[in-house]
Amino acid sequence: MFSKILIANRGEIAVRVIRACREMGISTVAVYSEADRDALHVGLADECYCIGPARAKDSYLNMSAVLSAAIVSGAQAIHPGYGFLSENAEFARLCAKCGIAFIGPSPEVLARMGDKDEAKRTMKAASVPVISGSGLVENLSQAKQAAEKIGYPLLMKARAGGGGRGIRLIRSEREFDKAFFQASEEANNAFGDGGMYLEKYMTGVKHIEVQVLCDSFGHVVCLGERDCSMQRKNQKIMEESPSPGVSSQEREKLFQICEHAMRTIGYTGAGTVEFLMDRDGKFYFMEMNTRLQVEHPVTEMVTGVDLVKWQIRIAAGLPLDFTAKDVPVRGHAIECRINAENPKEHFRPGGGKVTMLHLPGGPSVRFDTALYPDYFIPPFYDSLIGKLIVHARTREEAVRKMQAALCELVIEGVAHNGDFLLELLQDDAFQSGRYTTSCLAERGCL
Amino acid sequence: MIRGIFRHPKNELEGEIKWNRTPGPSVPEEMCVTCPSCRKMLFRDALAENSDVCPRCGWHFQISARRRVALIADEGTFQERDADIASRNLLGFPGYDEKLRRARRTESGSDEVVCGTCRIGGCPCCLFAMEPAFMMGSMGTAVGEKITRLFEFAEKSRLPVVGFTASGGARMQEGILALMQMAKTSGAVRRHSDAGLLYVAVLTNPTTGGVTASFAMEADIILAEPGALIGFAGPRVIEQTMRQKLPQGFQSAEFLLEKGFVDRISNRKTQKALLSRLLEFHAGCTK
Repeated sequence: MFSKILIANRGEIAVRVIRACREMGISTVAVYSEADRDALHVGLADECYCIGPARAKDSYLNMSAVLSAAIVSGAQAIHPGYGFLSENAEFARLCAKCGIAFIGPSPEVLARMGDKDEAKRTMKAASVPVISGSGLVENLSQAKQAAEKIGYPLLMKARAGGGGRGIRLIRSEREFDKAFFQASEEANNAFGDGGMYLEKYMTGVKHIEVQVLCDSFGHVVCLGERDCSMQRKNQKIMEESPSPGVSSQEREKLFQICEHAMRTIGYTGAGTVEFLMDRDGKFYFMEMNTRLQVEHPVTEMVTGVDLVKWQIRIAAGLPLDFTAKDVPVRGHAIECRINAENPKEHFRPGGGKVTMLHLPGGPSVRFDTALYPDYFIPPFYDSLIGKLIVHARTREEAVRKMQAALCELVIEGVAHNGDFLLELLQDDAFQSGRYTTSCLAERGCL
Repeated sequence: MIRGIFRHPKNELEGEIKWNRTPGPSVPEEMCVTCPSCRKMLFRDALAENSDVCPRCGWHFQISARRRVALIADEGTFQERDADIASRNLLGFPGYDEKLRRARRTESGSDEVVCGTCRIGGCPCCLFAMEPAFMMGSMGTAVGEKITRLFEFAEKSRLPVVGFTASGGARMQEGILALMQMAKTSGAVRRHSDAGLLYVAVLTNPTTGGVTASFAMEADIILAEPGALIGFAGPRVIEQTMRQKLPQGFQSAEFLLEKGFVDRISNRKTQKALLSRLLEFHAGCTK
């Protein structure tokens, strides 16, 4: 086992990883930007190093600074959390060169799954159903030909894409030319790669993802699915496991597909395979996230498996000591993302000082956050400030528990989306479990 | 203040196997390099992908002649000429043999200037690139001879010449013979020019001394890489001789552009496109 790990992240996820390390007896090294001097993860870690100015580009994304901190502190491994460097194949390669273990899959797998077009092709070859679409399109005329074949509406996506950039929804041929050049230009600016591909646009679908855990001995365990269909502008806001829209047969089939795919690509560590499920219960592969996810606690609550600890153990070369049968999904868990944004002002993100803080508690209520009273939320980073997760025997009970817990949450001084989440919980679409990715857009909640 | 308020749990390290890898984490020396201009630490792999240009401040790192050829010539079109011509200690200059031996043991090997023919953007031309790592790219008899022969070949074959200069000047160990190369190469350039053929020089960091005073500045079109030091004598020597403070940026490519000695500053990343456009324009060559 590693005796010291550097956490190359901030906020609640850095705190989450540090907590796992403290339980495992591993020393922790935090890195922070100048804006994060007083952040909770800095206080919780055994050692800390400032790695640059507030802007993420100069600090949390600064590979040489993060590596320097690891070397100076003598950390044997780096946990990248989610976002920032977590899916950066180049960074994983540099870690290997410096003799530091990167807690995640190999650089080759990172690169292959990071190229969205190649990921689709790889999955197709592993007999995973994918959304119908084109391969890379070289120019406008070729793209148009491909579009004719797929049919409108369709999505144009950047192969290097991420975070919703380089994506355009095209409803008819009239919009095609403009969208093609705009999206390609945007992708080129954001990722230095203007490669585009087309995909059928599916509406009224569910976003279902499968959590997998694979060790380096070829063991693969699927830890249930998560339903992340409650989305606003392609951003998940509520997640639950198990999904109310997936039958047990469909579930079994889905897990088989995932297990086979993970073996084929030789995946190691924790990962998530994302699918769209149409009204007929058919699944289509969308993309794979080669890292820990924001919504991982939902799976932890229903399976009792600590995903972060297992990520670390797998990276240290230990085998999984359980199979899917040993960790059946028990009960129902729901997560709400608490964001520092104001729903009354078009969800404008904000920051500020937390003047009063009360966190919900009680049995099977979990709140992952890096907030503390008098903490000042810096404006430079993601607006996620906390995750409220509840677990209960049935879905109905979980929804009740979540409502009670949300009402108990008090964060004064900072505008957040707590009330908006409460409204959503009471909505018929959510209560019935039949909500889809387009349900908020249809209600005009944009 | 949040630091120092939490206690450290007394949990023993989980599991029995200790992660014991020796040596511990360290940076392999060849992995990183510091930009001499902005002091940013850069990764060699990423730098090489960026044509050895600092992504932050645009500093152009010195690159070897072979790499230069690989960056500029169309893939698989470069054919080297006169590869067997090498410097010798003609004057019996003390210590020169040893210096040559040492220079040949470095990365550059026995390259002093790499000459040959190739295509750039589909246009055929003669190409030479001087090796800055070989005794500071100094010009001895071998360099002079190779460049002269290349111009003579270009004249005979009616080809344009593209040349990359990088030099500390004439090679002192070869004395008058090295100085003679200035006249010899200039003569060859002149005959090539009189035949109505194009010569494009790209001055890279540093281009100084006898090379500046001969074939580097005799091109029809003179390009220079950003920030390159271009001059005859170095700024310190001039300052001491003239007892005057030199203006800021003196002898930089940008300064020379302003004073009309250079026609254009050419960024390494767009250099190939520019050269192929120039060649195409002057030769009327069709791709």
